[in-house]
Amino acid sequence: MHGMIFDIQRASFHDGPGIRTTVFLKGCPLRCQWCHNPESWSFEQEVFYNHDGTTQVVGKHYTVDEVMAEVVADRAYYESSGGGVTLSGGEPMAQFPFSLALLKECKAQGIHTCMETCGHAPTDRYKAILPHVDLFLFDYKATGPDHKRYTGVGQELILANLEVLYEAGAEIILRCPLIPGINDSQEHFQAIAQLEKKYPRLRGIEIMVYHNLGNDKAKRLRRDPALPGLPNPSKETSQAWLDALRELGCEKVKIG
Amino acid sequence: MADKVFQREREFTKAYQRHINDHPAIREAACLKAQYPGALGPIEAGDLFAGRIRPAAVGFTPDEWGQTAFGYYHLPARFKEVLQRSDLSPEDRAEIEAMLEFWSKENTSTKVRARYTPEMLEVMPSDNWMNEPGMVFPLYRLCGAYPNYGKLVTLGLPGLRQEIRSAQENAERAGGDGELFAGMIAALDVLADSCQFYADEALRLADTAGAERARELRIMAEVLQAIKTEAPRTFREAIQLMWLYSIVADVRNYGRMDVYLGDFLAADLDGGRLTEAEALKLLQSLWQLMADRNTRVHGRVIIGGKGRPNEANADRFALLAMEATRTVLEIEPQLSLRFYEGMNPALMEKALEVIGEGRTYPILYNDDVNIPAVEHAFELPQEEAEQYVPFGCGEYIINHRSFGTPSGVINLLKCLEVTMRNGVDPTTGERVGLELGDLSSFATFDELFEAYKRQVEYLVDFMAMQEQMEYEVVGETMANLYLSMLYDDCIERGKGIFSGGIRYLGGTLETYGNTNTADSLTAIKKLVYEEKRISPEELLAALDSNFEGYEHIREQLLAAPKYGNDDPEADSMAVAVHEHVCHTVRNQREKTDLHSYLVVIINNSANTLMGRWTAASPDGRKARVSMANGNNPTGGMDKKGITAMLNSLVKLDPAIHAGAVQNMKFSPELFTSNRDKLQALLKAYFDNGGAQAMITVVNRGDLEAAMREPEKYQHIFVRVGGFSARFVELDRDVQLEILSRTLY
Repeated sequence: MHGMIFDIQRASFHDGPGIRTTVFLKGCPLRCQWCHNPESWSFEQEVFYNHDGTTQVVGKHYTVDEVMAEVVADRAYYESSGGGVTLSGGEPMAQFPFSLALLKECKAQGIHTCMETCGHAPTDRYKAILPHVDLFLFDYKATGPDHKRYTGVGQELILANLEVLYEAGAEIILRCPLIPGINDSQEHFQAIAQLEKKYPRLRGIEIMVYHNLGNDKAKRLRRDPALPGLPNPSKETSQAWLDALRELGCEKVKIG
Repeated sequence: MADKVFQREREFTKAYQRHINDHPAIREAACLKAQYPGALGPIEAGDLFAGRIRPAAVGFTPDEWGQTAFGYYHLPARFKEVLQRSDLSPEDRAEIEAMLEFWSKENTSTKVRARYTPEMLEVMPSDNWMNEPGMVFPLYRLCGAYPNYGKLVTLGLPGLRQEIRSAQENAERAGGDGELFAGMIAALDVLADSCQFYADEALRLADTAGAERARELRIMAEVLQAIKTEAPRTFREAIQLMWLYSIVADVRNYGRMDVYLGDFLAADLDGGRLTEAEALKLLQSLWQLMADRNTRVHGRVIIGGKGRPNEANADRFALLAMEATRTVLEIEPQLSLRFYEGMNPALMEKALEVIGEGRTYPILYNDDVNIPAVEHAFELPQEEAEQYVPFGCGEYIINHRSFGTPSGVINLLKCLEVTMRNGVDPTTGERVGLELGDLSSFATFDELFEAYKRQVEYLVDFMAMQEQMEYEVVGETMANLYLSMLYDDCIERGKGIFSGGIRYLGGTLETYGNTNTADSLTAIKKLVYEEKRISPEELLAALDSNFEGYEHIREQLLAAPKYGNDDPEADSMAVAVHEHVCHTVRNQREKTDLHSYLVVIINNSANTLMGRWTAASPDGRKARVSMANGNNPTGGMDKKGITAMLNSLVKLDPAIHAGAVQNMKFSPELFTSNRDKLQALLKAYFDNGGAQAMITVVNRGDLEAAMREPEKYQHIFVRVGGFSARFVELDRDVQLEILSRTLY
């Protein structure tokens, strides 16, 4: 069994607790307009056409053992920091058998596991993977019809999966990408605040402030960026978002 | 009345000539008497301690002044300068010319070189390692003395005098010669006279100073008077004595300062004689004096670590020392923190606070790795190894018991370059190395690697011989009185430090280009021998044309595995290169009389300077570009993250050399927003066997801005290799090398 992976990033400081190795799985059912990893959409190998004229193949098949060889090399760093492995993407649930096998192997070797997920996958798969995930980084991207408009899929299944995971006792941090002019609406903020009330055991809520580094990657893939020219929000803007959410009663929210 | 031109140099020369046939100790004492107080610089505004140095163009130093000037040195450039003066009288000119002629034969470096065998002269045709290509160069110097400052401040001048006198009496009673001791006593007189000189100057300055400054100067004078005749009683007196000794003796590393000053500090604080704030002010002044001395690569102050009998007091000093470093924005002292599992955690917390502010200090040394490493590398028992101290750029020696002057440099990448071309240096076309065939004549990779090894081994024999000769010349021509009186065993044995007095006389060889050599060998092995994608002829043609027209070859070379990514293929080659050169050098202890002869991978800016004379290399590096720093990865080639880089670093055995520098460049954000993760990162690195870390905290954008507008970025400090520097003061290619290092 192979997984299609587009990057293994060691020494990640921002994808869960401690120092982590983040495995980026290639392929995603969503098409978020703000996506900063456009190379993660397709399940196939692709080519970056770099500005200096060179090319670079994106995506490589790995066995679980091959990934584990890189993962275990940093065990000392996980132990000293309370870190471990994070599956990210793309969408790890979209390569379910591989992700499940990899997470099982990590747990068998005593390594803490996180999975970043958009929530869009069959519910029984979440049930199956739950015992092998110590912490979910669960995306909450948009509210209502906006969800389908900006990501390509509706949010009903996603919300149902969140409910199932929560009720089953999963550790969850909600991750909310905030994109100026797209989802920084009062309605969306209220929805986030309601989720915090509805799910009091949520471990945290992190807002992920938009950055436009994905545009360049899209160009190198010879695609048109979905949000060309959208500038990165200022520090003041992200602080204002944080304040607005706190105003609505969000206590656990912070900038991720 | 104005002094005569070159007055100090004339007096020194006369003293030397008058005693030219006397016992070296007597000659040296006479020279010291002539050298001081002339070589003492004036007390400057704000100084709370007396002691500044202004070296003459001729003099005596146990260290080095300038490129090849050490021991009895002369500085030809200064002679040239004075001889160009149009107002020089014919008599003065004649006398100065005669002096220049005298010293150009009588200076210590020349005496060392005069002793070389014809073979050595062939291997080391040049001394000019910065400006000429070569595989090996000698360095003429002694350096890295760590005298026993603790003994100095405990006994004071009278106690030391008494100890030397009784040793002298014993020697004379036994019918031995007391001249070494007579020389030491005379040297102590020079030190006492220097106290008096500065006490007088302080009082003179006080007469015209404002009230507050006058008070400071009068205290300074009192302190100087006191230490002239008594052992130090206070923190201030102890500092003044150690400082003035270090100036007059010209010793540039300051020892385990928390051990020898910690008790003085604690007693003054607890006795109410001094407040924390006052103590800090004293240290800040001492730090400023060290900074102004500008030794560039020395100025080590060691704090923390095992083997401190007064740990609690020492810790108090260590914390204060770090605060002084945080608040005095200078590149010296090179504050160095030794630490171990179980040490007071406040020290490491304070250290990270100071480093996080971009200070590059303290440099971190992991005792749990270094002590066993020193035990093995130097073959010493644990209690001796516990007293290891890094000097200069980071070479370890044993505090007041050993010496390990780096007396030579070897450019390993140049050795490979010459080996691939049957002994010819491509930058000059001259045959400089062993003729072992060229790249196409080696049927297998192993044959190439063996040829490289032979090339290196051949050179190392001569470098070790050179080091031993240097010490022999020194031992025959000087007593090094100030070192001998404060180095263990010398007084007991009645011998000068380099005349049989020192307990462990060792040497070191600086290696450069280690990483580029390993990565080059990895690329050759893979692409030329295993995959046969590049022919030997094609590779040499690509290198000789600096890849022009061979970009596709360079791409393949760059894509080959590189050290610094936790990659087994690349790292095992780095280990092979490391172990070969370290063992080759270390085995010289069997071939010479040296107690140890060890590699140091310390780096200064030599990776850049020697890189300028090194052709394009098979790791994809272009001609004249900097080589990688120390045993760090080539800048930008460590692509797998900091943990992978650190994992690669710890694969290189620290127990077979005398010190290696590990530079790390972190963003300020990592220190401010993720301090706990950073701490965990360092902990895991050290637990994994990391021996050392030198951390620069800086933004890439700030470095780039500093290159554009240097005047605005005086405050940016970076770790070059073995020393720290203001970024804006570095040469452009050194700046680019630092910029190229991966920022985590």
